[in-house]
Amino acid sequence: MSVSSFPILLTAIPLSFAALCPIWGMWKKEACFPWSVAGVSATAFISWALVSKFSAVGTIGYKVGGWAPPWGIHIRIDFIGMLLAVVISSAGLLILIYSWRYIVHEVEEAKIPYYYTLYLLIFAAMLGFSITGDLFNLFVFMEIFSITSYALVAVSGEGKALRAAFKYLLMGAVSSITVLFSIAFLYSVIGSLNMLDISKRLPNTPYVVVVNTALALFTAAFAVKAAVFPVHMWLPDAHSIAPSPISAILSALVIKMGVLGIFRVVFTIYGHGFPSTSNLWSSLCGFVSWAAAFSIVIGSSMAIIQRELKVMIAYSSVAHIGYILLGICMLAPRGMTGGIFNIVAHAMGKACFFLVAGSLIYKHNMKRIRELRGIGRTMPVTAGAFAIASLSIVGLPPSAGFMAKWYLLWGCFQKGRYVFVAMVLLGSLLSAIYCFRVVYYMFFTGPRLHTQKVDEVPPSMYVPAALLSLGTLVLGIYSTPLISAINKFVGSLPVK
Amino acid sequence: MGREVKSVLPILIVFTPCLSLAGALLWRNKRPRFARFVYVGSSVLTFILILLLYPRAMNGTVSTQTILEIAPRITLGFRIDTLGFYFGLLLSVLWVIASFYSLGYITSRETRYYSFLSLNLSFCLGVAFSANMFTLFIFYELMSLFTYPLIIHDETDIARRAGLKYLVYSITAGAVILAALIMQYFYSGTLAFTGRGTIGAAGVSAGVLKVIFSIYLLGFGVKACIMPLHGWVPDAHPAAPAPASALLSGVILKVGVFGIMRVVYDVFGVDLLKRLGVSLPMLYVASISIIVASIFAITQTDLKRRLAYSSVGQVSYIIFGLFLLSKSGAYGAMLHVAHHAFMKGTLFLCSGIIMHELGTKDVREMDGAGAKIPLTMIAFSIAALGMMGTPVTCGFISKWLLGVGSVEAHRVYFIAVLLISSLLNAVYFLPIVYSAFFKKVTVRELFSHEAPLSMLLPTLICAVLVLILGVFVTVPGLPYSLIKVVMKVIPL
Repeated sequence: MSVSSFPILLTAIPLSFAALCPIWGMWKKEACFPWSVAGVSATAFISWALVSKFSAVGTIGYKVGGWAPPWGIHIRIDFIGMLLAVVISSAGLLILIYSWRYIVHEVEEAKIPYYYTLYLLIFAAMLGFSITGDLFNLFVFMEIFSITSYALVAVSGEGKALRAAFKYLLMGAVSSITVLFSIAFLYSVIGSLNMLDISKRLPNTPYVVVVNTALALFTAAFAVKAAVFPVHMWLPDAHSIAPSPISAILSALVIKMGVLGIFRVVFTIYGHGFPSTSNLWSSLCGFVSWAAAFSIVIGSSMAIIQRELKVMIAYSSVAHIGYILLGICMLAPRGMTGGIFNIVAHAMGKACFFLVAGSLIYKHNMKRIRELRGIGRTMPVTAGAFAIASLSIVGLPPSAGFMAKWYLLWGCFQKGRYVFVAMVLLGSLLSAIYCFRVVYYMFFTGPRLHTQKVDEVPPSMYVPAALLSLGTLVLGIYSTPLISAINKFVGSLPVK
Repeated sequence: MGREVKSVLPILIVFTPCLSLAGALLWRNKRPRFARFVYVGSSVLTFILILLLYPRAMNGTVSTQTILEIAPRITLGFRIDTLGFYFGLLLSVLWVIASFYSLGYITSRETRYYSFLSLNLSFCLGVAFSANMFTLFIFYELMSLFTYPLIIHDETDIARRAGLKYLVYSITAGAVILAALIMQYFYSGTLAFTGRGTIGAAGVSAGVLKVIFSIYLLGFGVKACIMPLHGWVPDAHPAAPAPASALLSGVILKVGVFGIMRVVYDVFGVDLLKRLGVSLPMLYVASISIIVASIFAITQTDLKRRLAYSSVGQVSYIIFGLFLLSKSGAYGAMLHVAHHAFMKGTLFLCSGIIMHELGTKDVREMDGAGAKIPLTMIAFSIAALGMMGTPVTCGFISKWLLGVGSVEAHRVYFIAVLLISSLLNAVYFLPIVYSAFFKKVTVRELFSHEAPLSMLLPTLICAVLVLILGVFVTVPGLPYSLIKVVMKVIPL
């Protein structure tokens, strides 16, 4: 097993670990957790090993089974795929460790092996989605992570959970089928499924209407997966009702897959300025950036009026998907930097939020924001992690969220979109309201210090949350390497 | 321009106050007395470390230190020029005074209070020492956020409401400053402070420059409480504990002013501002702020609210002097930063003692207070006289220079504003002094006595400084000598 086969191992390992997980579960239910940790940490190691290779050689290609593209399955790890793979595997590992103690609390014992199986599946599918080079595998992996998400949302089996999962399933299925249709459209007129190959063949095609339709349908379908404003309705229910580690996975990672889907279509396939598509292309980008801007404002406003912590956090995700998509679709180089950077920043901040929300449910069964009185004193690490992560979610310096906002605003000025400047700033003011309200209840209300002892959740739960929140801080203070890499990548994209 | 030397001192100074966090974490339960010693000691140590920079500041040498590159071409760095040193020195002195005072005043939630107090010292020093607008913004935002726990220290409903108001104002202001910051960066490509304007060289149209300038002023104006943006001040000051109000008024407001100074001298530069013609409108804004705030102060019966409105007016003096864009005006403005800090510091510390010992904060219930807490009321009177601009106190010096500045700038009629304001100051301060010393003691105050030494001494020192700054103006080491060095760089 050499380094050269690492790309395929990135999905193959978690996939095979997932397949074997129920068997371990039959033998001993406790064995599932170490088994999953082994699988996920091996994957995380591989993804970091690939980073060092990536920084040496650039885009990594891998021909599965030795078949050359466009006929064989091609794995192509470009910068954004690499970035997401690292984020997914690292955050996935932390969240998995968190699950260990938490999940006993929320899922009945018999189902625990299935929980880990689904966890590994969703993990493998997201990695596959990030690194695949052809459209069909993109679809397959998308279906895997979508279907596992529906199952994981419903895992508790309560009526509310089933309803939320069903709502999610309906919208998700429509979007999946739309993606499948678009792939069929493209395949019927282009005759290829490899994304690079398609993008090379696009200029010569006479079937402009079909190609354009596919572009529009792709964007709309992935927008549903990303939960951008008009099609975000499934997100607050699904993300708040799922078990907290799963909420973290869904909010921090799975919706980013929708963003990546849009990125793949808009830039990898269609992004080369073909005369036949360029009109629709730029107006689609314009449309998505407006939708994203409204996402920011509406998501944040909805978050403010929520009483339950997890629903609030879920709405905040709608807003942050707005920041990311606004940056990516505004077609300004620095805005793109901000958008891509926010993928990382938001993943860390939001995962931390949901883990903290989970810890509060685990310890005190607290779901409402008003109940959080004095938590800062009894659970200092957990509450502290929330406070630090909220700096990043609000976008205050020195945090990763701030750097993301900085570049996003810079992009707005590059394009002269002053309306977006106002909307982004308004969004961050609104997010300050909903985040600091929670921090306020945690630290500045409730009983006095000497009446209460520190009563934390187990370290396996507070350490991942603390690490994620520290991550936002570190990335906010020292982001040069990542941002230079993103800038370099953005330089290769068709944005001016 | 003086020389530039690399030095680790800036970093050391900025992080020294954080030592007290260690005190809070390690010893707060086992050895509370030692923890208190660490709290106060860290601010004293900071003061001493800043003094080490004194020789450099006096000959105009700039100490710089780049910490790291946050993002490509955006650095976090410190650069202590004489203006920054002057601010740093001022705020560390005030912090030492307030820390000692707190020992007597603060009896509950000590750990949180001292932790945030010293963190704020750290952040304020960060603002004063920052090498570029980005660094300044980071520390400014941190300071804005971390002042909140000081304001709601008492955790009463009034304090919570004031804290909320403060947060809303500060965070909105932060977003506004961010917009200006990014516009500056986008149009001029640099955020560094060099001692002269950088944005003019970028070839940006006057209209855009005016927009950037106004946005900056809107943002920093909230902390500097320029009149329509002052809403949080009269609520936050009374809500905070006395030493924290003294720092709010003495330092935190001035940090907003410091931001404006950086915008005026380092981002735009005096020449560019003269060309843009922003001087006169700003003078009007400041004048209205001075007069209206004084009138509001008269109508207040709560002592600390009255002092807070007085701060709004007094800080506008500084803005006024700054935008005279004349030499004496600038001298007056910069001197008034320190002068007002000590005068208002004294007044707030006195108000703390008055509340503590007399149990009232109503200005109508001060009858005969001079007999019961004579030293405090003498300190109060000295500072009050200073506010009115009476000679021998430092208030006179800055007012005098502001008047001279108005003449230099050929805007003589603005002297009227200064005179009216002095009159109004007298209207709201003298009755307190009068009733304290010349009215009969009421029954309720019969059993009250002078405050403990830990509170009294800092107050008296502060009051004595008001006199020293008014008499020994030109002694080296005092503000005037430092500002002289600052002014060598500024082309006025």
